[in-house]
This record gives sequence, structure tokens and C-alpha cells, in this order.
Amino acid sequence: MAIESQYYLLLSAAIFCIGVYGILTRQNALLFLMSVELMLNAANINLVAFSFYHGNLTGQVFSLFTMALAAAEVAVGIGIVLVLYRNFEDIDVTKAATMRW
Amino acid sequence: MPIAGPVEALLGVTLLGAFLVFLAPDEYAGKLATAVSLVPVAVSVWMYSVFDGAGNALLGGTLAFESDLGWVSLGRYDLAWQVGLDGISMPLLLLATVLTTLALVSSWTPIDERESQFYGLMLLMEASLIGVFTALDFFLWLVFWEAVLIPMYFLIGVWGGPRRKYAAIKFFVYTNVATLVMFVGFMALVFGLGDSISTFGMAEIAQALREGGNLSTLAGLAPADLRLVAFTLMFAGFAVKVPVFPVHTWLPDAHVEAPTPVSVMLAGVLLKMGTYALLRFNFTMLRETAEANAGIIVAFGVLSVIYGAMLALAQQDLKRIVAYSSISSMGYVILGLVAFTPHGFGGATFQMIAHGLISGLMFMTVGVIYNETHTRMVGDISGIADRMPWAVGIFVAAAFGYMGLPFMAGFAAEYLIFQGAFASTVIPAAPLVTAVGMFGIVVVAGYLLWAMQRTLFGEYSLATDYDVSRAPVHDVAPLVVLLALVIVLGVRPGLVYRMIQDAVNPLLHGGVVLW
Amino acid sequence: MAGAFDFVPAIAALPLLAFVIALFAGQYMPKRGAEAGIAATAGSLILSIWTALTVAGMTGSETFYNENLYTWVAGVADSAVTLRLGVLVDPLTALMLVIVSLIALLVHVFSLGYMNDEGETGLPRYYAGLGLFTASMLAFVFSNNILMAFMFFELVGLCSYLLIGFWFREDGPPSAAKKAFLVTRFGDYFFLIGVVGIFATFGTGLFAPVEAASGTMESFPHMAEMAIEESETFFGYGAQTWMTILGLLVLGGVVGKSAQFPLHTWLPDAMEGPTPVSALIHAATMVAAGVYLVARMYGFYALSPQALAVIALIGGFTALFAATMGVVKQELKQVLAYSTISQYGYMMLALGAGGYVAAVFHLTTHAIFKALLFLGAGSVIIAMHHNENMWDMGGLKDKMPVTYWTFLSGSLALAGIVPFAGFWSKDEVLFEALIHGVGTEGTLGAMFLLAYAMGLLAVFFTGFYTFRMVYLTFHGNARTDVARDPEPVRWNVKAPLAVLGIGAATVGLVNMAPVEKLTGLHIDFLHQWLDGPEEGGWPDALSTDLHHYEELLHNVPHVDPAYPIGGEQTTLIVSAALSLGLALGGVLLARSLYGVDEPVEHTDKLGGAKALLTHNYYQDESQVWLAQGVTVPLARAADKFDQGVVDGVVNGVSSVSLFTGSRFRRIQSGVVSNYAALMTLSLVLLLVAFVVLGGVA
Repeated sequence: MAIESQYYLLLSAAIFCIGVYGILTRQNALLFLMSVELMLNAANINLVAFSFYHGNLTGQVFSLFTMALAAAEVAVGIGIVLVLYRNFEDIDVTKAATMRW
Repeated sequence: MPIAGPVEALLGVTLLGAFLVFLAPDEYAGKLATAVSLVPVAVSVWMYSVFDGAGNALLGGTLAFESDLGWVSLGRYDLAWQVGLDGISMPLLLLATVLTTLALVSSWTPIDERESQFYGLMLLMEASLIGVFTALDFFLWLVFWEAVLIPMYFLIGVWGGPRRKYAAIKFFVYTNVATLVMFVGFMALVFGLGDSISTFGMAEIAQALREGGNLSTLAGLAPADLRLVAFTLMFAGFAVKVPVFPVHTWLPDAHVEAPTPVSVMLAGVLLKMGTYALLRFNFTMLRETAEANAGIIVAFGVLSVIYGAMLALAQQDLKRIVAYSSISSMGYVILGLVAFTPHGFGGATFQMIAHGLISGLMFMTVGVIYNETHTRMVGDISGIADRMPWAVGIFVAAAFGYMGLPFMAGFAAEYLIFQGAFASTVIPAAPLVTAVGMFGIVVVAGYLLWAMQRTLFGEYSLATDYDVSRAPVHDVAPLVVLLALVIVLGVRPGLVYRMIQDAVNPLLHGGVVLW
Repeated sequence: MAGAFDFVPAIAALPLLAFVIALFAGQYMPKRGAEAGIAATAGSLILSIWTALTVAGMTGSETFYNENLYTWVAGVADSAVTLRLGVLVDPLTALMLVIVSLIALLVHVFSLGYMNDEGETGLPRYYAGLGLFTASMLAFVFSNNILMAFMFFELVGLCSYLLIGFWFREDGPPSAAKKAFLVTRFGDYFFLIGVVGIFATFGTGLFAPVEAASGTMESFPHMAEMAIEESETFFGYGAQTWMTILGLLVLGGVVGKSAQFPLHTWLPDAMEGPTPVSALIHAATMVAAGVYLVARMYGFYALSPQALAVIALIGGFTALFAATMGVVKQELKQVLAYSTISQYGYMMLALGAGGYVAAVFHLTTHAIFKALLFLGAGSVIIAMHHNENMWDMGGLKDKMPVTYWTFLSGSLALAGIVPFAGFWSKDEVLFEALIHGVGTEGTLGAMFLLAYAMGLLAVFFTGFYTFRMVYLTFHGNARTDVARDPEPVRWNVKAPLAVLGIGAATVGLVNMAPVEKLTGLHIDFLHQWLDGPEEGGWPDALSTDLHHYEELLHNVPHVDPAYPIGGEQTTLIVSAALSLGLALGGVLLARSLYGVDEPVEHTDKLGGAKALLTHNYYQDESQVWLAQGVTVPLARAADKFDQGVVDGVVNGVSSVSLFTGSRFRRIQSGVVSNYAALMTLSLVLLLVAFVVLGGVA
């Protein structure tokens, strides 16, 4: 007896919302990155769940790609965070607003 | 059909030259650019001497130096590399090449930073101008038309006076918006013509429109209304370039801020793009609409003449005086075009050439005086004739040319326009309207003589603390060449008027009656 | 075999060559270009005399010439007019050519004394200007169509500008030059409309028909005559009205150039130029161009009674008006300037009143005696070290006898004292005006009589101001040190004076019409010259003869002569006696007031009129006000409007864009959280919208 798809979707939505909440409320760049990871993985859950539901492996393969992409993204993200720290001696994203108007 | 004709050669040489000059070191850029620009002069003079075109390019005439190559397809329209010359564009091409060379020589003294970029941009502009006057496919033409703006923007914005950024942006945005308006008008015609055309060839569109009946209803506009809307939009768009009152205010700012050689090109050639386009589009393609609204159009022309002249009277800056008088002179072109008579069209086209030469001469002379005195304000200079006799002599000659002194090109052009307009059957109360427009010749004498009296004559004094001496030979040489051209064309207008007449006469035949 | 007529273009080409030589090589020549000018004008004079002899039939070849020589602009389409340059030689042309080239030559010679000997700089420019002027003036004279005439008319205006402003380092001359060009340009504006109108109406501007290979090309006066006969309409006007309009438009140029009221104000100012220039341009030739033009196209003006009335009235009024202003002037050249205006008024009066010969006669004599007076004034000015105030002179009679006697000859001619030239011509002008005024019915005749009355009155003033000038300058005791010891003048001043002095005394003999009428001797040579042979010859070919004009005057405006007092002879004697009496009255009054050892100013006796006269009836003020009080403020207002309203709208559009942009860019706060919140909010809104609208159909 498999778990029904809507539970996966609920889980995915919940994780996504947590990620969004994190992005909206946190100021620390590292927490930003984590939140983005959460949102990304929420999407992954959806992919895997629908893949399972349709009996089609394409979705699962796609989620592997997404994970690889996420790894790359983290690498870039951490790089940005480092630069941010170097320039502002802080990793608070709201402080880096010098390029506005 | 040859792949590369003289027109392609002209474009190729000028573009290649521009590229070379960009790379050249600053100290050689001016001489190199001048040398390069002599090639287009030579080629265009040769083209003039073997010119074998007949009739109007858009109305089934024989084109000289034609090439017509497939380019790309856009939907159901084929865009073509279609270039060629007729009696209207040949003189304008000559004007563009000759004036560029002279403007380049006159840049040697005033331009002393970023020379290679300056001269490169000048050549780039020349290439675009050559394109504008030779392209016969609308899209190709539009590309060149817009391409002119880019070098001009930088030439004003980088090498200009204190308010150069304001002037450059104003010039660019104003004329660019105008192009958009014109583009909408033209596209309305294209879509209205529907299946009856398959290319953007200006000749095909012109002939389709003049045959009449091909225009379908578009966006709820009946064919006659569509013509009127398209005419209005196109006229508004081109009027900015000419410029016609009340869309002229970019011109004085651009002229005042631009360095002298750029002013020469602006007044000498760029303004003619507007009247050239009016002639090619509005007055060729939509003849009947122009005729039906001649009263309104001529009002704009005459208003520009008088209003421009009055404004020139109020100015204190020599360059502003010449700038406003350009508005006045270009008003005559409108007056001539709308007359729909042989001498009206011919005189208007001749006026483009004549004014190109004379206003170029005027700006250059002001520039030569500025090079020595570092001021252009009427109140700052007095009695400069004492120190710069030859430059002032040429200034006086140029001013009288501007006033329409017989045996100088301006008189021939203005007289022919007046002759054409007076006899017009299209303009309401033609003799009276012409007489009103002619009053410009009195006002022009007023402001030029007044300005000359205050700056050139009287006891020598100069507000700026510069040691004024005679201008160097390479400053005066272009003036002499231009003055000679003005006199030659004034004594023998037939040198270009013959081919102009040949090209404008077909405009008066054919066409449809709509109302 | 090349005849004289083949060389007519060379009459103008020679001085043009002199212009080029003087301009570019003058500074390397010992006389700074005068050599070229003298040689060229001498050549022109010889060719002109040859031309005149040919016209007189003395060389046996054809006696007239009218050819198109150069197509300036070819009209290709059938409705486009072709504009040509050509040469017309008839007796009027020949006469004028001789006058112009003679005076040009004398003025060139005189300039050696006035300019070179006085050590002026910039002489190549001076001689170049004189050369260009002479060339343009001569070309104007032999123009065979009205457009060509206009073109050279403008060129002489340019030369006038350049020469008036010769001393450009001072303030006065450039201003006077500007005024001269501008005022005449105002007249030329109307002239140009007239030219355009004539071409638009007739398709040609020929003064006289041309026999071309393709057939006869008709002249526009002839076509106008035909049009009036056939009652055609042009531009919505009847032929007669339209011809009047065109005639009056062309007259605008005439009034400007010949310094007639109300465009006369430039001429007195033009005296800022060198005196030889005043003699050549502003007395003898260029100012004559306007009158000459009316004479040239007299066949056209004779068709319009209104135009004739206007010409006569302008002429009569100007003659009187200018003469009264000449009465109070202090400076020698100013008196002469106003007298020039006044004398050209007489010519206009004659032309308007149907006295074609009288006008040409007065043109001829005036050219001689006024050039003489100006050159004489120049001689005095040299002697006085360029002081022109007559009150600083006096007693020059004994110190410069050649100048005095020649000047006196010119003055007697100007005042109209028998038998000097001016008497004969002025008398004929007045006589013609009188008999045509009496003989013509209706308003036109009344106008002629009014003009005649003004002309007659002006004779008195002419006599007065002329001899006031003579007495103040040459008689009495010397009033300053310079006048006691004037600078001597050389042969190059005296020779031209002598030639012209003899001319002023004798040139009237060419047309002693009164003597002819009283005695029956056929000595009215000028009359015969302009009338031509009875049969064939140039009158048939060109229709520019006196006989034709008289016919037109009789047929169209019905201008006819009548003799109010007894017969022709009695009227003649009374008229001549009247004008001579008035002239003598003026002379005697001048003698009694100023012909004393220590003359004093009597102008205060004029009371309020003094201010009016010394201020030239406030004509200058009113025109300056028109230019500086009306036009310039109007231009400033237009500038304000342009900068404020027209450009204001443009800048307004850009300000609105900038303002909106500056508000909208506040959204770009630079804080990532804000962007994220916006994105989330937008997504939610989008989802809600989908839900509410029920998704995409």
C-alpha cells in the first residue's frame, strides 16, 4: 500500500513554504542559502513523487540533475557569501545595498 | 548584375576607413581620415560624371549604379539590399561626401582630444549618410537612417560644449521618437496595402500607392483616412529632422553644443535627410494627400521661415543665429515641395544642396573665428576684420550667400522655389502665401547684417583674452572650396539642377484622385 | 566680322576682371589696383562709345541688338519657365552705358587723388569694390530681362554695402552700410515678388522681343498690352489691376534703390563712404538704377494709370520733401545727398507724368553735374583735411580756383539756371508734368498737377540750398585755420572735375526742346535718339521707342498733353520762366542770407520747423523705431516663446519621464529580502487571480 500522492505534495508544499519563510525573514546569507536548498528540494520531492505516480523514471532522473545543480549553486553561493564578507565584514544581506539608485 | 557596384564600394571604403582610423594613433588620425575621405569624394565625383540615371527612382525611372540583391525574408515580405541613385540622390550624395572631407579638414584645429575616435565616428557617419541617400529598400534605408544617430550622439556628447550631454540626449531622443512615429505611419501603409506588395522596396510601395485602389481598410480606417493618418505620422516624424516649427527646438541646442565640424555636418547634411525623406515618402507616395492638405503644410513651411528668422534676430551667439536661420531656410524647402510645380520641387531639392553648402560655410567660418577668439558671443567680439581679413571676407561672402545674393547658390534655389510656389495651383492663395514667405529674405538680411556690424566691424576689441592672429591655411582652405562651390552653383545651377528636374518631373504626372 | 554688339558683354567683363585683379594682386601693384580699374573702365568707355556709335548707325551695321546669351536655369517641363541672361542694346542702353563707364573712369582717376594720395590702407579692397560695382552696374544696364536686371540690381547693392563700409574700423560706416543694404533690400523684396509674378504671369521677363531661331520670343510689356486688350484675368484679377499690382511691386525696388520716399533714409547715411564712392554710386549711377528700370520697362508702366499716378506723386513729393531737408544741413555731402534724393524725385515725376524723354534727359544731366558736385566736394574735403562742416570753410574760392569754377558750374546746373544742363532737363520735366496734368482727364490728371506743383515748389528750395552751399563753402572769409591754408589737390582731382565741369555746362545742349519748339530748329537730339527712325529699325523690332510709349499713354491710361496758357509756345515760355524765376529767387535769397563775408546761421528763423527739418521729419527715427522698437522686441518675445513654451513642452515631457522614473526606482531598495517579498507577493497574487478567474480557459 503506497502512500498517496497528496501527502507527498503536502510535504513538498510545507518544506517550500518553510524555505520561503526563511528567505523572507532571515538576514544571514548562509541561512538564505539553506532556505534556497529547502525550496529546491521541495521541488525535488514533487518530481520524485510524480515520477512514482506516473511510473515514469524521467522525473527521478531529472531530480538527480537538480541535485547536481544545487551542489554547483551552493558552491557559487558560498563564493558570493565569502565576497560579501570580505567587502562588508558581515554576511547580512540587507547591508549590501550600495548599488541601488 | 554586379555584386559590388560603386555604392557598395563607397560604403565599404568609408566603413573600412572608419575602422582604420579608430585604430590609428591620435596624432595621425585627422590626416588619415581626411585622406580616406578623399576616396568617397573621388568616387562620387566620378559617379556624377558618368551618371546615366533618368527619371525618378521610385516612379519607374532608370537608376544609376543600381544593385538589387536578395537579403532576408520577413514573414511574407522579402527584404532586399537595393541601392541606386537618381537625379535627386546623386547631388545629395555628392554633398555628403564633399562636406565630410571639408568638415574633417576643419576639425584639425579645434579637435585636440580622442582624435582617432572623433575621426572614426565622422567617417562612420559619412557611411551612414551615403546609405541613407542610396538605399531604396525601406528597411535598409531605416537601418542607415537610424545608424546616423549613433555617431552623431557621441560626437555631440563627447566633444561638445558645456551642455553637451543635455544637447546630445535631446537630439537623440527627439529624433528617435520621431522615427518611431514615422515608422508607425509607414507600417500602417504597408499593412493597408496588404497583398499588393511583397517587398519593402520603396519603388514598389510608391507605385502601388500612386496607382490607388490597393489600400484596404485597416483598423477601421477607410483608405482615404488611412492615407491621411499615415501622411500625418510620417510628416510629423520627418518634420523633426528638417526641422519644422514647432518641433525644432533640439536643433539650436545641438548646434550650439556640437563642435564646429559636427555642426557643419548637422546643418549641411543631416537636416537634408528630413527633407529628402519628405520628398521621397510624403510627396511621392502620398501625392494626393499632400495636395489636399497643401494649405496646412505650407503654413508650417511659411511659419518656419518667418519664425526661424525672427528667432535668429534675437540671438547673441553666432552659432545660434546660424542655427535658427537654418530653420528658416529649410522652411523654404517645405514651401517649394508643397507647391507641386516643376520649379517648386526642383528648387526645393536645389535648396537642400545650396543650403547644405552655405550653412556649412557659415558654421565653418564661425568656427574659424572661434578658434582664434574662443568666443562666439556677439557682444564679446568687435572689429575682428582688423585681425582676420580673409576669414572675415569669407564670412561676409557667406552671409550674403545666405541672404540670397544673385550668382550664389542660395539665390538660385530660393528664386526657383518662389517661382514654383507663386505659380502653384495647389497652395491656396499661392501668390500671397509666397509673398509672405519671401519676407524671410528681408529678415535674414536684418539679422546677418546686424550681427556682422557688431562683430566684424568697428573698433577692434575682444572680451576673451586671446591673441588673435590670421587663421591657419588649413582652416581657411575648406572655406575657400565651399565658397567656390557656392558661386559655381549660383552661376551655373544647371550642373545639378538638370538632373534634379529630370528626377522630380515624374512626380507631377500620374497619381490618383481620391476626393 | 564682329561688330560692336559682340563686345557688349565685355563692357561689363572688363571691370569684373579688374575686380579680380585688384582683389588678389592689388597689394603688389604700385597704385594698389587702381591701374586695373582705370584700364578696364577706359576699355568699357571705348566699347560703350563704339556701341553708341553703332546704335546711331554710324558703323553701318545693325543698329540694335537683343539676344539671349546664357541659359541660367533651363525649365525642362513644359510649365516650367526658363531663366536666361541676355543683352539688350537700344539707344537708352547705349546712352546709359556711356554715362556709367564715363563716370566710373573719372571716379577711378579721382580716387588716385582722394584715396592713394591720402595714404589710405586697404586700397585693393576699395578698387575691387569699384570694379565689381562698375561691372554689375553695366551688366544691369544691358540686361534684356527683368530677372537679370534684378540679379545685378542686388549685386550693385552688395557693392554699395562694401564701399559704404570701407572704413570698417569706425562705427559709422558699418552702420550706414547695413542701413543702406537693409532699406534697399526691403524695397527689393517687393521687386522680387514682382519679378516672380511677371515670370509666373507671362512666362518671360524680356523687356523687348528676341528673334530666336525657334521664332520670336515676345516681351512681357507687349504681352501685358495684349492681355489688357483681350481683358484676360490673372490669379483672379482683371488684367489691368494685375498689371498695376505687378508694376507697383517692381516699383518697390525702384523706390528703395533710387532713394525715394519713404525708403530714402539710407542715402544720407551712405555719405559715410569715401566721397568718390558717393559720386559714383550714390549720385550718378546706382541710384539711377531704379529710375532706369522704370524707363527700361516703360511700356509696362504706361499701361497702368494707377502706377503712373503713384510714380508721379512719389516723385513730386520726394523732390519737395528732400529739398526742404537739404536747406538746413551743415555738412557739404549731406546737402548733396538730399539734393540727389530730390533730383531723382524729378525723374520719377517725369516718368509718372508721361515725360519719358524728360526723365532720361534729367538722368543724363544729373549724372554729370551731381558726379561733378560730389567730386568737387571731395576736392574740398581733401583740402579741409576731411572736415565736411561747411561752417568751418569759407573763402576757398581763391585758393582752389579749378574746384570753385567747376563746382559753380555744377551748382548752376543743379539750381537750374539757364543755360546750364540742369535748366534744360528740369524745365522739360516740369513742362511735361504740367501739360500732361492739364491734358489728362479725371483723377490721374489731378495727381499729375499736384505732383507738378510740388516739383515746382522744390525748384525754389533747390536754388536756395545749392547756393547756400556754394556761398558757405567758397565765399566770404575763411572761418578756420584749415580753410585759410587748405591742402592743395593734384591733377588727378582736377582733371575729372574739369571734364565734368564742361559737361555740366554743355550737356543740356543735347536736348534743347524749348529752343526747338520756339525756333523750329531740329536740335532736340535726345528726343530723336529715343524716338528712332519713323520706319523700320529698332523701334519696330524692340518697341522701346518714344513713339510707342506715347501711343500707349494715349490709348490705355489716356495721358494726353494740353496747353493751358495760349498755345504750346506760350505755355513753354511761361513754364520755363516760372521755374527759372523760382530758381533765381532761391539763389538770390541764399545770396542775401549767406553771400556775405561773415555769414551766420539763419535756421532759427524757421522756428519749430527747424527741429523738424534737422531731424529729417523724424523719418530716421520712425524707421529705426520700426526696426529696434518693434522688430527686435518682437524677436525677443518670439525667443521667449520658443524657449519657454515650445521648448518648455519638450523639456516638460522629459521632466515628467524623469520624475516618474525617480519615483519608480525607489522600489529598487537593494535589500534582497524586499525583492523576495515582492516576488512572493506577486506569485500569491497571480495564484489568487488564477483561482478567482477560474484558471486559463
